[in-house]
Amino acid sequence: MQEQIPEEFKISPSLVFYMVASMQIGIGILGYQRSVTKYAYQDAWISVLLAGALLHIIVWMIYKIAEEVNGDIVTAHEYVVGKLVGKTISSLFIVYFFIYALTVLRSYIEVIQVWMFPEVSTFWFTFAFMVLCIYIIYGGFRVVVGIAFFGLVIPSYLFLTFGYNIKYADFSHLLPIFDTSIKNIILGSYQMSLTFIGFEIILFFYPFIKEPQKSKKWAHFALLTSTLLYTGLMILAIAYFSELKIEKSIWVTLTMWKIVQLPFVERFEYIGIASWNLVILPNVCVSIWVASRLIKRIFHLKHRNGVIIIALFMLIIISFIDTREKINVLNNFTGKMGFGFTFIYIPLLYICIMIAKKVKEK
Amino acid sequence: MKKWIKKNQTQNGRKQSEWEKALEKSKDFKKSFHINKKTNIPFSLTFVTSLVDEQIIQQSVLPNLLADELQTISDIKKILPLADVEISNDPSQIEQKLLNGYVMLTLKSNEDQFGFIAAQKEIVRGLTTPEIEFSVIGPKEAFVESIGQNINLVRKRLPVKELIIEEYTLGSLSKTRIAILYMDGITDEENVNTVRERITSIEFDAITDSSFVVQLICDNSNSPFPQLLDTERPDRVSSVLAEGKVVIMVDGSPHALITPTTLVEFFGSFEDYLLNWILSSFFRLIRVFAVIFSIQITPLYVAVLTYHYELIPRDLIGTLIASRRVVPLPPILEALFLELTIELLREAGARLPTKVGQTIGIVGGIVIGTASVEAGLTSNILLIFIALSALASFTTPVYKMANTIRLLRFPFLLFAQLWGLLGIVFCTCFLLTHLLRLTSLGRPYFQPIYPPRIKDLKDSIIRLPFSNQSLRPYYLHTKNRTRFNKEKAHMKKDIDE
Repeated sequence: MQEQIPEEFKISPSLVFYMVASMQIGIGILGYQRSVTKYAYQDAWISVLLAGALLHIIVWMIYKIAEEVNGDIVTAHEYVVGKLVGKTISSLFIVYFFIYALTVLRSYIEVIQVWMFPEVSTFWFTFAFMVLCIYIIYGGFRVVVGIAFFGLVIPSYLFLTFGYNIKYADFSHLLPIFDTSIKNIILGSYQMSLTFIGFEIILFFYPFIKEPQKSKKWAHFALLTSTLLYTGLMILAIAYFSELKIEKSIWVTLTMWKIVQLPFVERFEYIGIASWNLVILPNVCVSIWVASRLIKRIFHLKHRNGVIIIALFMLIIISFIDTREKINVLNNFTGKMGFGFTFIYIPLLYICIMIAKKVKEK
Repeated sequence: MKKWIKKNQTQNGRKQSEWEKALEKSKDFKKSFHINKKTNIPFSLTFVTSLVDEQIIQQSVLPNLLADELQTISDIKKILPLADVEISNDPSQIEQKLLNGYVMLTLKSNEDQFGFIAAQKEIVRGLTTPEIEFSVIGPKEAFVESIGQNINLVRKRLPVKELIIEEYTLGSLSKTRIAILYMDGITDEENVNTVRERITSIEFDAITDSSFVVQLICDNSNSPFPQLLDTERPDRVSSVLAEGKVVIMVDGSPHALITPTTLVEFFGSFEDYLLNWILSSFFRLIRVFAVIFSIQITPLYVAVLTYHYELIPRDLIGTLIASRRVVPLPPILEALFLELTIELLREAGARLPTKVGQTIGIVGGIVIGTASVEAGLTSNILLIFIALSALASFTTPVYKMANTIRLLRFPFLLFAQLWGLLGIVFCTCFLLTHLLRLTSLGRPYFQPIYPPRIKDLKDSIIRLPFSNQSLRPYYLHTKNRTRFNKEKAHMKKDIDE
């Protein structure tokens, strides 16, 4: 079943850049350094680069899949395994994106509660966040992409503040280069999965891109940007912290902000965390958009109702995740899930599509 | 003669009774009977005295009708030295024509045909200088309440045949004339059609001003943001027409409406085009800063003093605490108290006559401000912030947008009290979403920032020199994008050549 999107609701190819980059840059960036350095030590930045490079192949596959079936993942599934089974598989992704949004939102609330606002109620914050998301999604895909755009552009000023860290960085921490075993570097790359995932949404909003051919370079460019950003921050973190200190901080990036000093601002991380709301917003909102759109595609439920159902589920479930342990479990699970989807499922689907194409041609 | 009148009444009695009976109740309705001196043909003139210019009747209409040869009704076209003379046999037109200031002429011999002679009395206020969009340099003409005069001011500036003026009459009671202006061959046909559709589908009884039209045709009437730009400057109207926008003019309103419009346009004043581009870019940036400052500063004060004391460096916090030491109220009440005071002053100043208003402003500002600090109700620092933010909010050149900006800080204040800095960011997200959702004439309101059109940024929060403005804005989808030949206008010579 092919769904036609009217031309006026489609987005121009260059906006794919903002979609992909803003989905990738999210909660992970606040503290990915620790888990990677645990394996790859001072060579952690190589792990990040390696993971980033591999992602380009995955994005290439995503575009191949989408082009082959000329549609989103639901169409792809139906192409390979038929309508009924295809829809069943597709419906798993409703859960996938729901969990992704849940993880991001809960982790962010945890950061808020730990760093600046112990008394913020998880329930009410989620409630407000969901109202905002519903308001955004009701505006249509154009508004969702707009939020992704601002979620990337406005907070970008924050990266200037890392200049303060350069002043205190000791780049000899990076030496010796290539001292870590390849296995550890790969293990480090694996740890990046939660941080890096998000770009797979191309497979879900592909029918909304005006000239999909032209959007390819933007998707790759977005990957490159986020990879370089992560690598840069990793190098900075290694140079800025001593090895012991980095192991002890959960949110390395936040700790790095503590050094920022302005004549009128003492604790810059407060501003950082508050601004991060804008970075988190596209993550959660786009995920909910994808999930509710999948509901519409699979169960033919109105998009409006789908969004409300998901928001309600989010409100109920998030209240149960109330301890650091549970959040950790959730984070690890989402990381694995993301890894499984991007590095195992997508290549698998790609091969299946190619086989199906051969079979159908005969 | 009397016979004829009687006959007239009996014959057309049923047909004409409705409008005639209704009009006869008014004192200014007049029907006079005359006989032509040459042909002895009796004829009658019907008109509403308050609407027609009696001088025209006395000097041009009556003497000629009485003295010249009047045989049939078509002769009046020859006799009368007036341009707008119509002959019709449609009785349904009568009522409207009479109420538009026409004089109706009927001959005794043929009562099914009517001559309509235009003799409207135009009472027009003289041209004045723009008061809302005042500029130090540049033209000093502003629109007045007459659509004819206003169109004249625009035509004068764009004397080309491509300037199209369409007119509609709307409002079941007010019968307001509404004109749509656009440039043929430049303006996007789709935009013109949308405006046409929206204008013609207006259902309202009395449209007394262009602001009514704004609210009736805007995309989202539940938004505090103005979605059509209104201006009182004919120079601004002619320049946006040349850019490819559509302008709506309403009779009886000294404001023209410009559409489609974008958010950034509301922060540009026409004076920006009259100044050098460096200066105007600087002023535009100042205005954007002023808006952000004006919306955010009091919420920030509340957020920081309620939740995030530790955000402030030690030296600065000393000053803050010293200023707040005697204040018994929490920051939010303190801020609300002062904000409301400012709003009261503004509202009182706007309602009072100009001279009294100024006094109130000074007395209110100085006396209330100083007294509330001395009484220990507010801190000095907050007073400075509030005064600055009020000042900043008045830098917005478009009055309607300035009002919106003043309103926006209140939700921000509440969110700041609720969740501190986080609340402010949250509210910003809501505001962004709202702006993203808004459209003007179906075109995104947030352009050219989102959807990002880098080339359109040349005339947005900055303004590049005219030599860089050779293309019309992309978002208007104009039929002809080039404004002038860039190469020709911009030939560069080498040094000392």
